[in-house]
Amino acid sequence: MITPIKALRKNRFKTALIFISMSVSIAAIFLISAISGGVVSMYSAMLKTDGDIIVTQKGIADTFFSDINRSLSVSIEKMEGVKEASALILGAAPVDPLPIVGIYGASENRYKSYALKQGTYPKSGEVMLGSKIYETLKKPTKIALSKKTFVVSGVFKSRIGFEDGGVVMNLTDAGELFHKSASIFLISLDDLGKSDAIVAEINSLSSEIEAKTTESFIDSYNQFKIIKTSSDVIGAMAFLMGILGIVSMMSMVVNDRKGEFGIMRSIGLSSGTIIVKLLSETLIIAILAYTVALGASLGILEMIEHADKFQGYINGEITAALMIKVFIVSVTMALFGTLLPAVYASRIDPMSLIQRGGA
Amino acid sequence: MKIEALGLEHFYGHEKVLNGVDIEILPGSFTAIIGESGSGKTTVLSILSTLLQPSLGSVRYDGKLLHELGNIDHFRQHNIGFVFQFHYLISYLTLRENIALAALDKTLIDPLMGSLGIERLGKRYSDEVSGGERQRAAIARALINHPSVVFADEPTGNLDTKNALGVYELFREFSHSGTGFVVASHDKKIADYADVIIEMEDGIVKQIHK
Repeated sequence: MITPIKALRKNRFKTALIFISMSVSIAAIFLISAISGGVVSMYSAMLKTDGDIIVTQKGIADTFFSDINRSLSVSIEKMEGVKEASALILGAAPVDPLPIVGIYGASENRYKSYALKQGTYPKSGEVMLGSKIYETLKKPTKIALSKKTFVVSGVFKSRIGFEDGGVVMNLTDAGELFHKSASIFLISLDDLGKSDAIVAEINSLSSEIEAKTTESFIDSYNQFKIIKTSSDVIGAMAFLMGILGIVSMMSMVVNDRKGEFGIMRSIGLSSGTIIVKLLSETLIIAILAYTVALGASLGILEMIEHADKFQGYINGEITAALMIKVFIVSVTMALFGTLLPAVYASRIDPMSLIQRGGA
Repeated sequence: MKIEALGLEHFYGHEKVLNGVDIEILPGSFTAIIGESGSGKTTVLSILSTLLQPSLGSVRYDGKLLHELGNIDHFRQHNIGFVFQFHYLISYLTLRENIALAALDKTLIDPLMGSLGIERLGKRYSDEVSGGERQRAAIARALINHPSVVFADEPTGNLDTKNALGVYELFREFSHSGTGFVVASHDKKIADYADVIIEMEDGIVKQIHK
């Protein structure tokens, strides 16, 4: 392992360029995956809170556009095996000076999922604010939503960024604001084993609604698929850019070191040995770049999470699975990017040492 | 190892640089191929050393043609050493590490460096030693696996007279211990050291002196 490190130290400038190129690519993959994963994870966690089954308007692509009759929740709550049914209106509106804020109309039985830090749960004409937006808005006592003023009754803390940066009000006020009865119902069950039967029973209540287990809903939710696909595409672009960066830099490195590889061939080192030598050099850079990119990504995500500008809505998470996935991607990037130049190096004809001068 | 070349012809593009060369290199001999630039001596050396395939003609190594020798990398590693005009030492490795890169048996490195007078330079890098010392390290790299024959292309081209004669002296000394040397050079002083001198001119062997 000493020789590859010595070779990297000798070619410091180009090593640094490869290192920077790889670090940027890996960090980009980390950030886009972490942020998209964080968005999906936050919204999933919000739906999963007290929600074993989720009910939406049938055929709707996005829960923000869903409109269902809230009176159905009464019938659902009476079903055998249903512990509780809560209704939610999901909306967004500007709250001066913020251009867009998540607004959640919640039935009173859902209030208990918001951990109050101060004040009381909202009554009619009142709202409670997530701690993040409360700080961002400089601890207001009133806020204006669609030309109507609401008194801030309390402040809650939520680990879910969308909620912590959002406004919660009662269902009736939210219904008037967004002109709908309810967006979704979240149903908690006594026994998860009966979920399929209860889903079928709920679906039989109305042809305009669609009930799914929350897990099944999350797996099939179109918005999550769009976010994941977009993130995969951007990640793939970063991966390709990383490979292209390595290929071009390693080609220059091989050209600079033609004499070295020619002499290796002349003393009988096999093509495989030369390829392995170059691959091990980039592997070392990849491991260093991965480490730096991981640290940088964690730092950037921490900054984003606490940046007022993002209201806590962007909350990336780097899980152990993501770390392993990106590590594999980094190593693959290094190996793929080096392979062509390495093969070229392994085929350098020692004759070139006779025909050209200089080492 | 006995090397026999028969009817060697070679073209670079349309230009014919060898025009029917027959050469025999005997085991353990110090053979000098001399001639002016463009005489074809480097091309002959490249063909004999397996680096270049002739356009026409054949080369036999102990009676075997090149394609009968098996893996060419393995053949080179065990039978052939190279010394070039430019030392081609790898600059980020010490002299000892450069020799070790080629060595099949690492225990031979120190004795060989000692016999070449560079034992105290093992930890130095190529840019920290003189031109003569660099070329001695390159010779050590060529000799480390006890090759049957060492091919050298203008090995003294970058050396002053004193160091050049020192290199010839080394070749003669090692040829006495069984390693053959084939050296392409335009330096006529090599004639005082070689066992066989092959004089080339315009792509043919003009004269062979023994």
